[in-house]
Amino acid sequence: MDRRRVNGPPGGTAPPCYASTLSGKTHPSPKRTRGANEIRKIFLKTGLTPSASGSAYFELETPPTNYSNSLTNRTSALKLTCTVHGPRPLPRSAPFSPQLLLSTRVKFAPFAARQRRSYIPDSGERDLAAHLETALRGVLIGERWPKSGVDIIVTVLEGEEDRPWDALAAGNQNGRTGGWGMMSILSGCITVASAAITDAGIDCVDVVIGGVAAIVRQPAAPPQLVLDPCPSDHEEVIAACVVGYLQSRDEVTETWAKGNVTASSDGKGTTPMGFNALVDQAVEAAVAARRVLVEAIRESTEAKIQSSQAKLPDKLTSV
Amino acid sequence: MSLPDLAYPGLPLGPSSSYIPGPGTHLHLESSTIHASIAGCPTFIPSTAKGSKPTLSIPRLLPSPTHAPIPSSNVSNTNTLPTVGSGVLCRVTRVKSKQVDVVILVVYGAEGKFGGGGEGSVCADEWQAVIRKEDIRATEKEKVVTAEGFRVGDVVRGVVISLGDQSNYYLATGRNELGVIMAKSEVGNKMYPISWKEFKDPVTGETEGRKVAKPF
Repeated sequence: MDRRRVNGPPGGTAPPCYASTLSGKTHPSPKRTRGANEIRKIFLKTGLTPSASGSAYFELETPPTNYSNSLTNRTSALKLTCTVHGPRPLPRSAPFSPQLLLSTRVKFAPFAARQRRSYIPDSGERDLAAHLETALRGVLIGERWPKSGVDIIVTVLEGEEDRPWDALAAGNQNGRTGGWGMMSILSGCITVASAAITDAGIDCVDVVIGGVAAIVRQPAAPPQLVLDPCPSDHEEVIAACVVGYLQSRDEVTETWAKGNVTASSDGKGTTPMGFNALVDQAVEAAVAARRVLVEAIRESTEAKIQSSQAKLPDKLTSV
Repeated sequence: MSLPDLAYPGLPLGPSSSYIPGPGTHLHLESSTIHASIAGCPTFIPSTAKGSKPTLSIPRLLPSPTHAPIPSSNVSNTNTLPTVGSGVLCRVTRVKSKQVDVVILVVYGAEGKFGGGGEGSVCADEWQAVIRKEDIRATEKEKVVTAEGFRVGDVVRGVVISLGDQSNYYLATGRNELGVIMAKSEVGNKMYPISWKEFKDPVTGETEGRKVAKPF
């Protein structure tokens, strides 16, 4: 019982249950409508939290639904927000650090998953934060900020589920985003944190972008390699990989791969399987997302330049 | 090679054979080009010495368009870090026999160019700093009494001499134009300077000793 907060009723509340949902009619499973090499459309905007040094909001397009008798979408669309505080002085008790001290946190909102999460951080969130830190550490130029720390906090407003919601409700899984959805979330976290860090004006070697690719099982065909998988679109995900990629240097700062790659390498088919191919495709997904990130940074930088010129019309320039 | 209008981290700006990397840029060793480190407008500062290369830099922008800065012409609110040699404005928090504890409020660029056209940025967070007894004056260092030079609440102009240890920067006020610029008397009135070591309270007529900064 969480005594520090005002909790809801202990027994929980049940939403109204309509007759059509009880009729036992099952909708056909959602299918992936994009091409195998196409990523979902991204909405990315920076500078939305004025009190933070830098901030960004990231959202993936809501998947189309053509079930007229369903009020909600059966699959989720990732929504993330990131705030960056710093560089700011370290507390007095911290030892002298000649480099910038990076601290990352990923928080799931209680309403982010189909099953309500508690406020207390769990191991999944800490794992994501560790992967995010690895991805960002390779990008920040730490020597320019001695004795300082930066806090990066990513809040997941809506996460990726592994199954469509009615399948979750039917009890096929325990409803928590545990497996493949986390990888899409990490890919989004890397991109949104990179946008927020650039908004905060912290020196970076390049913009790091997250990309994710997966090998999925197809009903009557050999397994396929797809970019930006939505786990609820597929019957089974065999393996998946997330990378944090720097395009101007062709470097990868973070790799996280899960699953069984050897089981799908069959030598036949047009797409070669294998770990290297999976990582290469994840890099392709990152490159596709980079255009959106660069465009968002460009827009917000232009807005800042215009507002700084507008505010100081009679500024004395120093020689 | 002409500079792009707008740069973001990782964008190549120019070859290192023609430019020196300045603030906001970094050198990419493998390709010997200068890349941008932050988002902004790249500018280049022509070199002062004959024969040396101009400096490519990207000046930092204000945090966000919605964040209203202090409406004064040269001061902006950014996350600037005090560096060795930069001038600062700070406020005294504690006066001890061997040192004076201050908090840094405003950081000026390198070489401590105060007043006139010097660009100052108000720090978003206060940085702890210390002025040691031997750094208060340039001459007769052993005869200094800290309580005759500073009081709690004074605003002091100083220069950073060292990054210091885990909790403090080290400042010095050993030049004529460094020292206390604003002070309040014991009864609470604002005082004005009358010599290099005294402030005068216009209401009561009393004078108090401080290490006074020479006004421009």
